[in-house]
Amino acid sequence: MNFLKQDNLLITEPALKQEPIVLQINGVEYRDYTTATKTLSQFLRETAGLTGVKTGCNEGECGACTVLVDNKPVNSCLILAFQAEGRQIITIEGLLGADGTLSPLQQAFLDYGAVQCGYCTPGMILAAEGLLREIPNPDDREIRRALAGNICRCSGFLNIIKAVKSVASQTDTPVVA
Amino acid sequence: MKHIANPLPILDGHEKASGQLAFAADMKIAGLLHTKLVFSTVAHARIKEISIEKALGIPGVAGIFHHGNTPDNTYNSTIWFEDQEAPQDEQMFPRTVRHVGDRVAAVVAQTQEIADHAAGLITVEYEVLPAVFDVVSTEKTCMENAGSDEVSIFEKPVLEATFDYGNYRAAFDNAELIVEDRITTPKTHHCAIENHICIAMPQDDGRILIMSPCQSIFAVKFVAAKAMGVPASSLRVVKTPIGGSFGGKAEPVLDPLCAYFAKTLGQPVSICFNRNEVFTATRTRSKAIGHIKTAVDQLGRILARDSDILIDVGAYCTGGIFLPDSMAQRLCRLYDIKNQRYRGRSFYTNTPPAGAYRGYGSPQIHAMSEINLDHTARRLRMDPVEFRMKNLIHPNSVDPVMGLEVGNSRIRDCVEQGSSHFNWRRRWSASGKGNRFRRGVGMACATHINGCFPGFHEATTVTLLLREDGCIDLTCALHDLGCGSNTVIAQIVAEVLDILPGQIEFSEVDTDICDYDLGTRASRMTYIAGEAARRTAMGLKEQILLAASLMLNCAVGNLVMEEGKVSGNCEPGRCVSLGDLALHESVRGKLLTTTQTYRATANPGSYAAHFAEVEVDILTGAVKVLDYLAVHDLGRAINPQLVESQIHGGIQMGLGYALFENVDIDPDSGCMNADRFSRYHLVNAPEMPPVEILLIEKGEPTGPYGAKAVGEIATIPAAPAIVNAVNHALDTNLTELPLTPERIVDACRIP
Ligand code: FES
Ligand code: FES
Repeated sequence: MNFLKQDNLLITEPALKQEPIVLQINGVEYRDYTTATKTLSQFLRETAGLTGVKTGCNEGECGACTVLVDNKPVNSCLILAFQAEGRQIITIEGLLGADGTLSPLQQAFLDYGAVQCGYCTPGMILAAEGLLREIPNPDDREIRRALAGNICRCSGFLNIIKAVKSVASQTDTPVVA
Repeated sequence: MKHIANPLPILDGHEKASGQLAFAADMKIAGLLHTKLVFSTVAHARIKEISIEKALGIPGVAGIFHHGNTPDNTYNSTIWFEDQEAPQDEQMFPRTVRHVGDRVAAVVAQTQEIADHAAGLITVEYEVLPAVFDVVSTEKTCMENAGSDEVSIFEKPVLEATFDYGNYRAAFDNAELIVEDRITTPKTHHCAIENHICIAMPQDDGRILIMSPCQSIFAVKFVAAKAMGVPASSLRVVKTPIGGSFGGKAEPVLDPLCAYFAKTLGQPVSICFNRNEVFTATRTRSKAIGHIKTAVDQLGRILARDSDILIDVGAYCTGGIFLPDSMAQRLCRLYDIKNQRYRGRSFYTNTPPAGAYRGYGSPQIHAMSEINLDHTARRLRMDPVEFRMKNLIHPNSVDPVMGLEVGNSRIRDCVEQGSSHFNWRRRWSASGKGNRFRRGVGMACATHINGCFPGFHEATTVTLLLREDGCIDLTCALHDLGCGSNTVIAQIVAEVLDILPGQIEFSEVDTDICDYDLGTRASRMTYIAGEAARRTAMGLKEQILLAASLMLNCAVGNLVMEEGKVSGNCEPGRCVSLGDLALHESVRGKLLTTTQTYRATANPGSYAAHFAEVEVDILTGAVKVLDYLAVHDLGRAINPQLVESQIHGGIQMGLGYALFENVDIDPDSGCMNADRFSRYHLVNAPEMPPVEILLIEKGEPTGPYGAKAVGEIATIPAAPAIVNAVNHALDTNLTELPLTPERIVDACRIP
């Protein structure tokens, strides 16, 4: 029935005393003696306390757990924490300005009515952020495809697409014909 | 108007967009224990034995619960006030399990890993009993058992609702054309992105505090009290932010257990379902089968209609007692039909229970009615828009069953303006009979309620207090489910008092501080709670003016309240800010505050017509929605941006209902086939069509600033509009939802 957890694997004390896992998250180093079976999403939420990372399925289907790993959107429920060692991880908390101001993309989500319950929002914003870092001026199709792995059950996506577009068109990168 | 009709961003959007809003799963609670449930793997069985010894021996296990050591009180999780009548067929841990996914036991432990591991060591011995997975079989058994006292409640109909008016028999006898369909709508899932969760903990005063994302704190309190067999006063419930619900979190599923575990163990306990558990062990939308027969004359006037609906409520009744009546109520508020008969019956099956789900019966009944009407129009060779226009109700009609006025219902405007905006006539007549790709258009109408009136304590109590900083404290059990209802309420209060919506601060939704409220259900937030807030704000305004009149020594009639201050024209330039006025009063021992209860006096209909153009690939059975128009009669949009988002989200859900979504119970094992996201397809960003929205804003006299509900109705016409478009494209009469590629390919196969 339950496919999500390692049902038959009891994590015992000795397993906890191994090499530490060291992760670079939002420019800060986090170090933890944790088990090798911890997923990145567990590490981010439980060890680093970055609860802006949400989980909705733990099987790579909803995208709520999306974070950036070396600027690429990744479902953090699908990789193990140690696999992200030596890479730059960015969570929703890492997009905020030093004074807590929203990034242009976060602000656009707010202004365009792309936020409802907010549960898909961090993952959705990071999926879009990853796209914009790769293609600064994406077209409608590219935006939709980049968000295909993120489910929003509240908003019907259209205002999310508009929000992403609004930020895209602000950038000065020339559109490649 | 300053704040009404303003597309104000959602008030708590900053916290949400920054990831700072703490949902229940994000809360840090010291000493929190974690739970793993053990679920039935068989669809119907008596539990002979549960072996827990191995699990008990695991270090870190705090307690194991099952039917042998928990209260066996029966209850119904659908109730929302203490003495509400409903069949009590649920138990925390039943001795006889009734569906795959029913609760058998629970392990509470120091960590989730330990709980998961220990739960896997519990073994259960079952005495398997016969199970039924389809409502048609249950109906047959029930008919055979009729009159016998020996049978259990599960072998009797849950409820039968009927109405019969006019002379439908004579009308059918004289009809020129009778069009009959059997239409089925699937069992579907809410799929809120936040999984079900509950946290409970003992308080210093001996009570148990329950925290969960719920739709009614009072429902949680009364259901949990009943299940636990404790006085409701020994429980306190606080709503946490909610990551979507759509009815899925309306019934407290986890709360009674969680509270009982916390009480027994004397420690904070959480139950956090994973996605698979949410699918199989919470609630679903009821599957329904309808036989609809419509009699018409050659001119396209509906003479009579006969509807016979079977509703599958699953393993437990929950709200199954309301569904047959809800469907009846919505069926008779859309078309002017002089002779009509209806029979709606709900039955049990050994499948996961149905429960509340956006639209509560409306998506099922309107899908059936609208698909059958389109079929009728086809048989008449009549434009489906023209056919509907001949039969739709007019404003201020009275529904023939309950005798309630439908209010300023503008469904005719929706269809008229929508069809012209969509270029309906042209698109409909362009018979695009391509080879592989076939195009078609479809439309559907719908209506939904505004609140629970005339039943069930339909009232809301709001308290407003003017603070010394000029802000307003609003105390009310307002359960914003994430769609921004609090923002709408703030706009209404801000409009009355001429302050900024951001200056209104909402109380916690806490049974200790809020007056009783039904919570968020039945599309009652804007229409009922909004009106309650408006009236209370008017009351506060009166008090403010009175106090200012004494302070400024100026008659009330000569005072103006604007932009956070009151000025009088008695002495030029003399004015007082609202904050200073509150301070002035408080030093005199007076608070500027008022509490008012608004009781609904009407239940008008919200109306909508949706139009869709699709392209069907007859080789693969894939349906692409090319264009979409949603026209809504919502009286008035308090916040057009939130309205837009609600409609978009409703269409996403309705498209899924038409084309993909079906939890699909295996007819042999009773297991759910689509029990996780990888097997349950949800419409995603690339599949979402462009949507245009047209709002008909002609005002509902009984609504706040003329507003009516939009949240639930947004999803209702979408599925039949899509199905009708596919049938138009293929010249078929597909009536079994969802229209999966297999079903479409089958229908296109040359016989
Ligand atoms: S939680 Fe990772 S994709 Fe759903
Ligand atoms: S805003 Fe609720 S799931 Fe996207």
